Amino acid sequence: MSKLLLDPTSERRVAERTRLARPASLSDQVIGLLDISKPRGNVFLDRLEERLLQAGAQVKRYKKPTFTKPAPVDLRHEIAANCTLVIEALAD
Amino acid sequence: MSSTRLPDGLVVIVKEECETCRMVAPLLAQFECTVYTQDDPSFPHSVSPIHDADLAVSWHHDIETVPTLIKVMEGVEIERTVGWSQAEWRRITGIATLGHELPVMRPGCGSMSVDPDRVDALRAAFSGDVLKARRIELADLDDEMEKLFDLGFTDGLPVVPPTAERVLRMLQGTTRPPDEVVAIVPPDLVEVTVEKIAINAVMAGCKPEYLPWVIAAVEAICTDEFNIHGVLATTMPVGPVIVCNGPGAKAIGMNAEGNAMGQGNRANLTIGRAVQLVVRNVGGGRPGEVDRATHGNPGKISFCFAELEQGSPFGTLATARGVASGTNAVTVFAGEGPRCIVDQLARDPDSLANTFAACLRTLHNPKSVLGFDVILVVGPEHARVFAEAGWDRERLIAELHARLQIHGSELVRGAGGIAEGVPDWLADATLGKFRPDGILVVHAGGGAGLFSAMIGGWANGDIGSKPVTKEVRP
Amino acid sequence: MHDIVDLESRGVPGVFVASAEFVTAAIAQSTSLGFPSVSRVFTPHPIQDRTDDEMRAYADAAYDEIISQIVAA
Repeated sequence: MSKLLLDPTSERRVAERTRLARPASLSDQVIGLLDISKPRGNVFLDRLEERLLQAGAQVKRYKKPTFTKPAPVDLRHEIAANCTLVIEALAD
Repeated sequence: MSSTRLPDGLVVIVKEECETCRMVAPLLAQFECTVYTQDDPSFPHSVSPIHDADLAVSWHHDIETVPTLIKVMEGVEIERTVGWSQAEWRRITGIATLGHELPVMRPGCGSMSVDPDRVDALRAAFSGDVLKARRIELADLDDEMEKLFDLGFTDGLPVVPPTAERVLRMLQGTTRPPDEVVAIVPPDLVEVTVEKIAINAVMAGCKPEYLPWVIAAVEAICTDEFNIHGVLATTMPVGPVIVCNGPGAKAIGMNAEGNAMGQGNRANLTIGRAVQLVVRNVGGGRPGEVDRATHGNPGKISFCFAELEQGSPFGTLATARGVASGTNAVTVFAGEGPRCIVDQLARDPDSLANTFAACLRTLHNPKSVLGFDVILVVGPEHARVFAEAGWDRERLIAELHARLQIHGSELVRGAGGIAEGVPDWLADATLGKFRPDGILVVHAGGGAGLFSAMIGGWANGDIGSKPVTKEVRP
Repeated sequence: MHDIVDLESRGVPGVFVASAEFVTAAIAQSTSLGFPSVSRVFTPHPIQDRTDDEMRAYADAAYDEIISQIVAA
């Protein structure tokens, strides 16, 4: 049986985790492209990179060692320190 | 859940584990009665007991001792007796010779429904619907501590997960009903109930006996005079500072002595923290949103301590503010972190007052006058200097005001090479550093150390914040 | 998905891209991670045998939706 907690708030908002606010546009953004290291994903990301650069964003490329585990914490730190947005691809 | 209404006639509640119950068991076949058994469904074997397996009947009829004999008429309990008393059992059953072979009396045993190991779960099972708050379900992979961070409910430190059991236990700390509305909390202007305060008090780590103090402090900060909205929204580093008075503060273990404004004391820290969590979670006031503090201060996590009433030459803050002596009360003040006042040489009150005044002069800015109040926390070693000279609270405050009358020429903008200051047209006036009621004196601290402290306030007056004192109701 | 959930905690808005095979798994996984609304975009399946041109076409087809997940509406 799952555990229940009582809501300490005014209950005016939904009590679940919400996404971060997004920026108004892509300009001034540094977009991290995180390759999960499954085959063919890099081609997909290459094309995204082309289009994002055309749209005026900066792009940084990252690759995790294996798709079977979450990205190592150092890689996550690096992305968080250097990027304002992130796209992770491509799981199948 | 089976019906908990008792049948008419005589009702007996027992448990097999209890020697007294085993002793009276043979009597139960001698008169008509309904028997509930708490543990072993085959006991007593001479009658056909009803097994109160979930203890619902015992709970709802406040059975504290077994055996308990109850007389019920038309669904209403007329009388009861607990344990074995030959006289009482004979009187209630009407059988003059009942138990003639037994001793005249024998105490019973604790009912399973008041067993400390069971009580929280029973309360949650039977009183859980008293709680009106929305329930938040934890997902399979949720770590409850991480979840509470993710949901934004914490002040940056982990909080105690508010389960129904914990909240019900917390609510035992007050006589006020859970659905009673205590205040309207800014900035979102939301009604806060006793239940919601209890949820945040659980998260803060409070014990149930702290809850009335948290409630009083929430009442106090939500007044127009205190103006928690302003206190929250300002760029100044202030937050509610809570000073506790009355015998109850000591009774719940608050610290008024060594390191009273520091770490380590659960009552001090969790009461202050609970109040801040209510502001955050119920009122909706959070840093980066309505809270615009430039720097903030560590006291915005929690800043609550008790006044050292014993040996105070100044009486107590609460009595000075109109509360009857011996009454529990909280005073809330919009304050920043404390600053130390050092004077290790003054042996007479004038010299020490001079130090205090010189330090108070620099509150926020040496050229800033009348706009801010202050709490002066006089440490016991300093207080003794005043006590020996017969200076009470009024005398000390008057002496400080007298030393803090400043000529406008020192205060105008540009004077001393400092752009800050009062307008030119006050150049010939004499202005007090503080408004007449702007110095609050509190006696607190450890017995060793020739130090006092000052806690600077936010803007005073109608657009700012005024200190507020509220009595603590149980 | 775990990486995007983690990076959102670190202040970086994100979206993960997966093939259509992943749709139901994504619902289940995001729910059990306590973050049912985490951003995700799906491409057609299969992936492994697609030519480079076909992969680029997948990227073009998904581009607008990906942008919509990382930029405010």
